[in-house]
Amino acid sequence: MLAWGSLSKTDVIAAIAVIALLAVAPLVGSRYIVGIMTVALCYAIWATSWDFMSGLTGRENFGHALFIGTGAYTAGFLNVSFGLSPCWGFPAAAIVAVLFSLVIGIPTLRLRGPYFALAMLSGAVVMQKLSIIFSETTGGQDGLNGLSPMLRSQVSAYYFTLAALVVTVIVLKFIALSPWGTILRAIRGDEATCQAAGINVNFYKISALMISAAFAGFGGALYANYQLQVGPDLFDVALSINIIIMVYVGGMGSIYGAVGGALLLIGLTEGLRSFSEYRLWVYTLILILILFFIPNGVIAPAWVRLREWIKGRGALFTRRASA
Amino acid sequence: MLDILIYGAVISAVYALLAVGFTLIFGVARILNLAHGAFYALGAYCVYTLTANLHVPLVVAAIIAVLLVALFGIAMERVLVRPLRRLPPLAVLMMTLAVGLMVEQILLLIFGSEARNVPSLVESSFNFGGVLLSGQRLLAFFCSVAILGGLWLFMQHTRLGAAILAVSQDPEGARYMGIPSDRIFSIVMGLSAAIAAAAGVLVAPFQSVIPGMGLLPLVKAFAIVIVGGLGSIPGSIVGALLLGYTETIVAFKASIEWSQIVSVAAVLIVLIIRPAGFFGKRAAF
Amino acid sequence: MLKRIAPVLAGSALIASAFAVPARAEDKPILLGINTALQLQVGRDTLDGVRMAVEEINAKGGVLGRKLEVVTADEGESPKEGVAAVNKLTGDNNVNVLIGGYDSGVTLAELPHISRAQTIFLGTGSASPSIQQKVKDDYANYKYLFRVNPINSAKQAASLMDFIKGKLKGELGYTKISILGENAKWVQDMVPYLKKNATEAGLEVPLAEFFDPQTADFSPIFAKVKDSGSQYLLIILSHAASDVFVKQWYDAKVPVAIGGIDVKSQDADFFKRVGGKAISEVTTNFVLRKPITEKSIPWWDAFVKKYNRAPVYSAAGAYDAVYIYADAVSRAKTTDAEPVIKELEKTDYVSPRGRVKFDALHEVQDGPGNVNVIYVQWQNDGERAVVWPKEVASGKMIDPPWMMKN
Repeated sequence: MLAWGSLSKTDVIAAIAVIALLAVAPLVGSRYIVGIMTVALCYAIWATSWDFMSGLTGRENFGHALFIGTGAYTAGFLNVSFGLSPCWGFPAAAIVAVLFSLVIGIPTLRLRGPYFALAMLSGAVVMQKLSIIFSETTGGQDGLNGLSPMLRSQVSAYYFTLAALVVTVIVLKFIALSPWGTILRAIRGDEATCQAAGINVNFYKISALMISAAFAGFGGALYANYQLQVGPDLFDVALSINIIIMVYVGGMGSIYGAVGGALLLIGLTEGLRSFSEYRLWVYTLILILILFFIPNGVIAPAWVRLREWIKGRGALFTRRASA
Repeated sequence: MLDILIYGAVISAVYALLAVGFTLIFGVARILNLAHGAFYALGAYCVYTLTANLHVPLVVAAIIAVLLVALFGIAMERVLVRPLRRLPPLAVLMMTLAVGLMVEQILLLIFGSEARNVPSLVESSFNFGGVLLSGQRLLAFFCSVAILGGLWLFMQHTRLGAAILAVSQDPEGARYMGIPSDRIFSIVMGLSAAIAAAAGVLVAPFQSVIPGMGLLPLVKAFAIVIVGGLGSIPGSIVGALLLGYTETIVAFKASIEWSQIVSVAAVLIVLIIRPAGFFGKRAAF
Repeated sequence: MLKRIAPVLAGSALIASAFAVPARAEDKPILLGINTALQLQVGRDTLDGVRMAVEEINAKGGVLGRKLEVVTADEGESPKEGVAAVNKLTGDNNVNVLIGGYDSGVTLAELPHISRAQTIFLGTGSASPSIQQKVKDDYANYKYLFRVNPINSAKQAASLMDFIKGKLKGELGYTKISILGENAKWVQDMVPYLKKNATEAGLEVPLAEFFDPQTADFSPIFAKVKDSGSQYLLIILSHAASDVFVKQWYDAKVPVAIGGIDVKSQDADFFKRVGGKAISEVTTNFVLRKPITEKSIPWWDAFVKKYNRAPVYSAAGAYDAVYIYADAVSRAKTTDAEPVIKELEKTDYVSPRGRVKFDALHEVQDGPGNVNVIYVQWQNDGERAVVWPKEVASGKMIDPPWMMKN
């Protein structure tokens, strides 16, 4: 596994460049493009939050949709059923998602690898089916409709989501680079040794899950704010799997790679619309090629190499030899 | 009471078939094969194409379908999985996932989204003391049991079976003993695919033959195998019985709507109580 | 790096291409945006129904001297794709009208986006009453919504009640029926209503259950229905696996007849698809090769000739939607939404399905002479007979083959 180490000036400049590009998008894109990108940014938040927990600790969570759906439905209920201002939905979504992470996270602390994956997946499936069965409250398959958006215009919703993504990446990357993050990575390496060294492994595992859930739930509320509808599809296995694919393609453990992976794959699914019915087939083919030839991920390893190249060139122009 | 017993057994038998194939390839090659559902779907679609378009008699079509899917499984292992074996297990898992998705897309493009009809081998229905059972379902039950029994005999009483067991316990050690581990992996993948395809062939007459038909069986097989303990064949059978009977009992006693959710919840509860499943020895990775 | 800019580049390219369209409004074609589940039969028929109407109208000179053009977007069965499809059609392609819809959940998700785009939407597939309810609750924002097809699920429920009371109880003398529906929202709303009214009408309803669409095995349900002594099993299925359901019912020779709403069973080739095992199943339908109006049979034959297959309900609705829109635009003498809406509200159009008029909620009206639900049964050799309502019945209702009294 490549080490994602520390932050350098080049990283920061690149990040600012990317944010600037994303900020410019609504000015050049149609309403359709802005809509697609808003959804892509939500996926980026979900992917990043997944990477934080599963990428760092190595406990692959196959039920991340649980937190997404929970956050989204919370925002939906407060909005539609209780008629509260949409602003309340965001913190509430994060809090409720964290509560759910405790409910499922604590009993499953002992689980590892595929056992943990399946337990989380089961949690998401149970919530999905419950939301369909109790249709009088949840709207069943159709979900909750007619949410009122927090901001009138779609473009401001986009910028709000973008801001949320930036904050998410900064916070999570910060934690990942801190000693906290180092411990999480150590747990992935060898949990038994960490325990022997006196580290409270359970605390770190559950807190990582809680943080992951908080951001995922928040992302769910953002999605609800754009889509103006929440439904059981937000608990779906396919959503969890898609997010994992995005992180994997982006480069697991890097945090920012997940953003790139999400944007890349959403861009691909929409951009391939000209293939009409062959769209998903081509998409899957590209995926297989990526998984086969670039198994360490596309975005993060590419950036690491690009950064080294820039540093090498940059040495010619800066007074100091290293950036 | 009798109806629960009989229906539960019939469902569990097919689940066991699916689960055993899944756990076999894991136990031997440590591969969580997310394309397992694709093998199941391919079995059903092969039989459909052979009978509907090529007018091959049903029994022959069934055998050919199983063989073709076995070959597909071996090809997948050789071409796409083996090169990735040096990487972390997640790489192989993602690749099998992508293959499964690809198969679904191809089936959708070729056959469309509407369900296809595979004729039953046995058209008559049976009545066991008031319990109505279609002939095809009964056949699926007996065939599943026969296949599982045959597999057990194979593993216990043939040299190849012994080699497979050796590789599953210690691939390195087996290699030192002159057993070609790589070839064994391919053979076991073929076997696993064949069993999944057999399940698909058996149930195709009374299940939806749609491109996405493999997803739910995959999830169920995954769940059963985990609950039973990864790599343990007896565990898979126990897990299959647990899932099958839970679904049947809930469908009868409560409502069919709750049967799916209760069985998933049961899986979760088992995992919380026994983190390595019923017969799992230690966590996988 | 390139991969991250790709969406922005794509967006810029699309905006640039929009400027390539000629500027004169009179020459511009009228764009019909079709949002439907393109990979499903229902979606394909929606598109084909539209195309057939568009070709006919263009051959006669178009509308207001302008040709009609079709743009499509796949909404799949997911609200996310639906919203993206609607935004693409309205934001990118700038269509004059949206025609389509299938899954109510997807359509409901699309409504705020349709309203924001201020584009007329002619629904041809979704049945939930909540969709058109918005016209009443918030006319200013949702006046754009019209439902051409089908009759909404609340009215379908009333029609089903009529079938239960008139046919099952009245003619066949049944006293016990069970109800089974998939757990889609519109079904979950319908079933309690059916149970209550059936009970009030003097029938016993021992079982009224829902099932998860992922249910692969209906044996428990059949066993419970049989043991309850029910004489009929009323079913309500649309997305769920109708094929599997009837095959399992037939194979087990369940001694209870089935019928109700089974959308997949409306397909002309459903009988063949299940190897003939749908015999004696009754399902509602809106189109059949029967002379409901003078246009019915010619339209049916023209569709079969053009596309080599029989149409399902969405084809008829889509075809009608195009004509209704074209007529409204001709009368309004513009494609601007407001005047066209006023004209649409005055629609009185004879279609292959019946006479189409809209009520205050912009719903297609049912009732004598209008569009109505008919009950069709699969009989020997895949022949279909209308068994209800009495006025249009073309044949007697038969029993399942293993229950026929000799």
